[in-house]
Amino acid sequence: MGAQLLTFGAAFLGSGVESVEALTIVLAVGLTRGWRAPLLGTLSALGLLALLVAIFGQLIVTRVPEVTLKLIIGTLIVLFGLRWLHKAVLRSAGVVAMHDENRAYAQTVESLRANQQKTDWIGFTLALKGVFLEGLEVVFIVIAVGGTSGGMGVAVAGGLLAMLVVAGAGVIIRRPLAQVPENTLKYAVGIILTSVGTFWAAEGMGVSWPLDFVSIVGLAALYLVASRVAVTLIRRPVFA
Amino acid sequence: MRWLRSAGAEVIGLFVGDWFQTGISVAILGAGWLALPRLHVEGVAFALAVALAVQLILATTAEARAKKT
Repeated sequence: MGAQLLTFGAAFLGSGVESVEALTIVLAVGLTRGWRAPLLGTLSALGLLALLVAIFGQLIVTRVPEVTLKLIIGTLIVLFGLRWLHKAVLRSAGVVAMHDENRAYAQTVESLRANQQKTDWIGFTLALKGVFLEGLEVVFIVIAVGGTSGGMGVAVAGGLLAMLVVAGAGVIIRRPLAQVPENTLKYAVGIILTSVGTFWAAEGMGVSWPLDFVSIVGLAALYLVASRVAVTLIRRPVFA
Repeated sequence: MRWLRSAGAEVIGLFVGDWFQTGISVAILGAGWLALPRLHVEGVAFALAVALAVQLILATTAEARAKKT
């Protein structure tokens, strides 16, 4: 039950954060140039992403031995999670600017206004590319956490539910979801993924953890402390 | 074609920010893969996590220092 909840939570949060970023792009295109092209682009991207989940999810679950799967996917999740955590630490410490949906929206609208005379392929392509590229991270999270935990259905459900919630909010408020604490969510997902990745990678190496799945809580605490130590070190005046 | 290249770069970018730092993380995991199964000590896998956590601290502080100078 705990493993299923963690799988669902990781897929839901990861998908939610990336959906917010994709929504900003689609809204910017739709409100500037009309909805037909960006909606077609979004649907095409979602179709491609669903195809990737179906193909790779099926291959991974049916073809790869469990130990190998844990080692390879665990290693990839560690690298992926550390990358999110790395960015989150630099953002928390003020070294890198926080991701701002209002600014991303304004930049996209500005670039679209400069291209008003061209055909609407721009709106289609921009939405397709934005949703597809943001969605790639969701696909990886869903396949990785779903494939290794044996809960692919739960992971897909978590990813889809987050996408629907964000899309629904976008339809209602018709503005970028700038109030969503994206940077904090990415920080949390970075810690969860790095912890889960370390757990599975070590299991793939043939190691058994004390208390089994509960060890992930200890790993999460360790990575949280390490990231806060990094933020504190970077913020010291002597560092400037 | 340019779009495909950009998608390829995006996929690699999911896992690699800085090749050196990623190399160190992979080396830590590789060392764990070689050493951990031979040790047979309960809980020793936490050493792997500690090494990755220390690497995170060193990598982020190094990048912050580079950006500030």
